[in-house]
Amino acid sequence: MSYQNYVFAAYAVFAAVLLWDFVAPRLAIRRFLRAAKMRAARNPAPADKNAPLARE
Amino acid sequence: MNPVVRWFHQLGSPPYFDRFAARWAPWAYGLALLTMAYGLWGALFVVPSDYQQGDSFRILYIHVPSAWMSLFVFALMAFYAAIALIWRIKLCEILAMACAPIGAAFTVVTLATGSIWGKPMWGTWWDWDPRLTTELVLLFLYLGVIGLYRAIDDRRAAARAAGLLAIVGVALLPVIRYSVVWWNSLHQGQTISLFGKSTMDASMVQPLIWMIVATKFWFVGSLLMRARADNLEREAGKDWVRQLAGGAR
Repeated sequence: MSYQNYVFAAYAVFAAVLLWDFVAPRLAIRRFLRAAKMRAARNPAPADKNAPLARE
Repeated sequence: MNPVVRWFHQLGSPPYFDRFAARWAPWAYGLALLTMAYGLWGALFVVPSDYQQGDSFRILYIHVPSAWMSLFVFALMAFYAAIALIWRIKLCEILAMACAPIGAAFTVVTLATGSIWGKPMWGTWWDWDPRLTTELVLLFLYLGVIGLYRAIDDRRAAARAAGLLAIVGVALLPVIRYSVVWWNSLHQGQTISLFGKSTMDASMVQPLIWMIVATKFWFVGSLLMRARADNLEREAGKDWVRQLAGGAR
């Protein structure tokens, strides 16, 4: 193959950028869900206002 | 209510959109990988070498689809931003802002692969040629939209400001498209036409079409995932996000 190095370099850039594009949103989603889980553990949501009151 | 209209209204609900994106993004990525594998196989192993450029012309199969995507994604981003500005639809704000990093990624691929192709063919990595320069300005516009969106704390105000920049930036798209016609350019003129006659040999066109389809599917998958991430960030603290994260109620 002529100009082999140039062709490989171009396809490597394409693959690297697509890989980043694939991974970046997944990492962000994982980060947001982890933060949500930690926030929930720190500040539990108030009890349901519509739940019947305990009688005892 | 009409089922399509009902679905459209449901899509505006953040938890519904999250489930929708999580369900369909893997399908879009799967179709992208299948079509891309077929296109790349044709581009690298089936199509004959160019009689003048040798095998370096194979860079075309990633350069041209990326360049088309860089323009298409910007136009779509401006379209979503316009809808978000006019009708204040939150999902359209999210989709518009999710377009920016994907479009920037395709613009980077366009510039980088063009530069790598330019070195053996033109004898230089870079030239301040109208097509190259306007494409670089497009990258700066994408970075401007991303930066503006990240610079303002209020997500909705940030999306409106960045969306306005995207709408104004659309004026650049015809300049990029016709730069090789309006000015003397080192960059080659149009060789592929969807509706007119292409000057590219038919035997070389098929892998290009597969790659164009593949990048579209890729974009759909990436858009859904990035929009899902932004949606989760905006909805942090809401009950459905707590449940999704598996946190205590």
